[in-house]
Amino acid sequence: MSSATANTQRTRTWRDIQQEVAPRSMSREGKKRHRLASLRLFLGVVALGALGWGGYEIWKLTRESPAGLAAASQSEPLREILLKTDGVLDLARVESVLGIPPGTPLMNLDLAALHRALVASGQVRTAVLARQFPDKLSVTVEERTPVLRVVVRGDDGKPAALLVARDGTVYQGHGYDHALVSSLPYLDGVRLVRDTAGYQPVRGMETVADLLGTALAGTPALYRDFQVVSLARLATDGEIVVKTGQVESVTFGTREDFYRQLAKLDLILEEMRRPAGAAPIKAINLAVGGRQVPVSLADATPAASTPARQPAAPSFFVPSQTAPASRTRDF
Amino acid sequence: MISKSKFIGAVEIGTSKVTVLVGELTNGRSLHIIGLGQFPSRGVIKGSVADFKAASDATHRALLDAEKRAGVRIDEVYLAQSGGHIDGFYNEAAVNVAAADNMVSQVDIDTVCKLAMSKNLPAGRIVVHHLRRPYRLDGRLVPEPEHLVGRRLEAAYWTVHGEESKVADQMHVIRGFNIHVSELILSGIATGTFVTTPEDRQNGVLVIDIGAGTTDYALYRDGCVQVAGVVPVGGSHLTNDLALGLRLTEGQAEKLKHLYGRAMIATKDKAEKVWLNGDYAIGDRQFSRQTIEQITSVRAWEIFEVVRKKLGSAYSPETTAAGVLLTGGTAKLPAIDEAASRVFGLHARVAEAPSWVAENLRDPGYSTVLGLLHHGLSSRAEAAPRREGVGGILKKLFA
Repeated sequence: MSSATANTQRTRTWRDIQQEVAPRSMSREGKKRHRLASLRLFLGVVALGALGWGGYEIWKLTRESPAGLAAASQSEPLREILLKTDGVLDLARVESVLGIPPGTPLMNLDLAALHRALVASGQVRTAVLARQFPDKLSVTVEERTPVLRVVVRGDDGKPAALLVARDGTVYQGHGYDHALVSSLPYLDGVRLVRDTAGYQPVRGMETVADLLGTALAGTPALYRDFQVVSLARLATDGEIVVKTGQVESVTFGTREDFYRQLAKLDLILEEMRRPAGAAPIKAINLAVGGRQVPVSLADATPAASTPARQPAAPSFFVPSQTAPASRTRDF
Repeated sequence: MISKSKFIGAVEIGTSKVTVLVGELTNGRSLHIIGLGQFPSRGVIKGSVADFKAASDATHRALLDAEKRAGVRIDEVYLAQSGGHIDGFYNEAAVNVAAADNMVSQVDIDTVCKLAMSKNLPAGRIVVHHLRRPYRLDGRLVPEPEHLVGRRLEAAYWTVHGEESKVADQMHVIRGFNIHVSELILSGIATGTFVTTPEDRQNGVLVIDIGAGTTDYALYRDGCVQVAGVVPVGGSHLTNDLALGLRLTEGQAEKLKHLYGRAMIATKDKAEKVWLNGDYAIGDRQFSRQTIEQITSVRAWEIFEVVRKKLGSAYSPETTAAGVLLTGGTAKLPAIDEAASRVFGLHARVAEAPSWVAENLRDPGYSTVLGLLHHGLSSRAEAAPRREGVGGILKKLFA
């Protein structure tokens, strides 16, 4: 490369000529255009300043009092609530939960607080609230479905029936059909703990809901006979104990498929029903697993411990054993 | 996509008239001519501003006329530069290719170009154009030497320069209308780019734009401008010669030039007379037609001879295969192509505008302004596209 590079110097070109001229050198039209350009510049600066100031004011308002931002705008009072639900809640109940005073302007509604009130009722799993201008509030809710019912002592000392959903939420159901609620088994074997909104969720309810759902879908007759579901041994032994109309204690294991266990239960009850004058069953333990299912009869004594063999299906046989200790509770 | 339009004004402040053409540049690619404004020039002598106020008034009226006809406001101006103060020189430089494998890099190209453009100008002069000729790599002509292999890279420039004060005067006339001059283009180059084809420029062509006060020329070879310049002689000298020789007013001489002037003597009969006005009224006079032709032809020949002299050794008929192209208002003088042909020893013709030019703009007098738009558009297309940043948007907002 040439060493002359360092010696090169830039020559002046016409682009170096200063183009700005004083207004006195301008023609009348040029001055007019110059004034117009100056005016546009001034207006542009003013517009930018106004934009900046407005942005700063809004920012300040949102930081200092967000509610003031909504209140600052004029709006019509709320006239109608539009409810959409996938459950049983009706408009009257929702209005009662929301508790909006009549004549409240639409923009004054605190949607976050209203949302909290709806969700706190327990029956509502999710809620979406939106203003529909000029005067409507749209409420879209997804409700919980009850799996069990539980009786607790209320604040006034009287017993009160509550519902338990699949996710363990304990809530006071509204709008459900009485027959539906009556068909739900009772929950037992857990201690409900109060919190600020009501009760803390019951643990393990998803497993129970799976059992009950399988029963309802596969063996509806058995499900209708379920009276009490105890979770007393769920956490420690992985067992769910159900009291039915026919058997005092049916123990389900959570490790084995519920459908298979229900099939075995159905077969055992069917087989035990055949011999005339047979003793009623006291306990069936389906949690043992394998081909054997311990069954205890109500009048069985240790002396007469001869296995009451049943003509069971080839898949398993039913030996007679001492009934395992079970806990029951009367409501 | 939203199309972005820019309104470009091509301005030629000539000795006899100011011409403004308004083009709408869409998305930086396509150009539509949407307005024309003209006004008789004042305060301009031989292409240079002599009376700022008079020149400004005439130019601004032409600009206003063009804006009114186009129905838009001109955003920026491409200004034609001419005048007797324009001059040029040739300078070249060479570098050894730096890379070990002798492959030419962009750094080599930049270095040789910088060296070739670095010649100092006399005080008060300013560069109007650096016109690069094709590169030479080890003696062979190459249009783009990057990545080619060679040892010695040469670059040569024809630098067009002018008096800073006169260039600034023309720009200030435009700025007086509060419009920015974004391109300054030598009239001869603007015209040459417009009236020649790439093949003409490759084969070699001489373009001569004969205006009223000046004659611009550009000699092309190998696709590039070899020499370009201005001679301060033009059509107004023909008028002046007639006025002096026949003792006429400027208006009368101009009239006779248009009616009977020729670049070659065709009238054999010395007794053939023509009337000045033709109304046979008091003051109407007779003149020898041959005398008129003699006066105009002598001056026309002289213009070509001056141009040929200015071209010097750069011109040779052998390397100008595409001939001589004549344009400008004085190119309408009958037999001017014949005169040029005799002087340059080449076939000559009056340049014709391309077919896409509207009928009212096909006159040779509009070649320069059309060329300004054409050259400006070509320059933009060659320049790397840049996104308009926030600064650009603000500039447009406040413009």
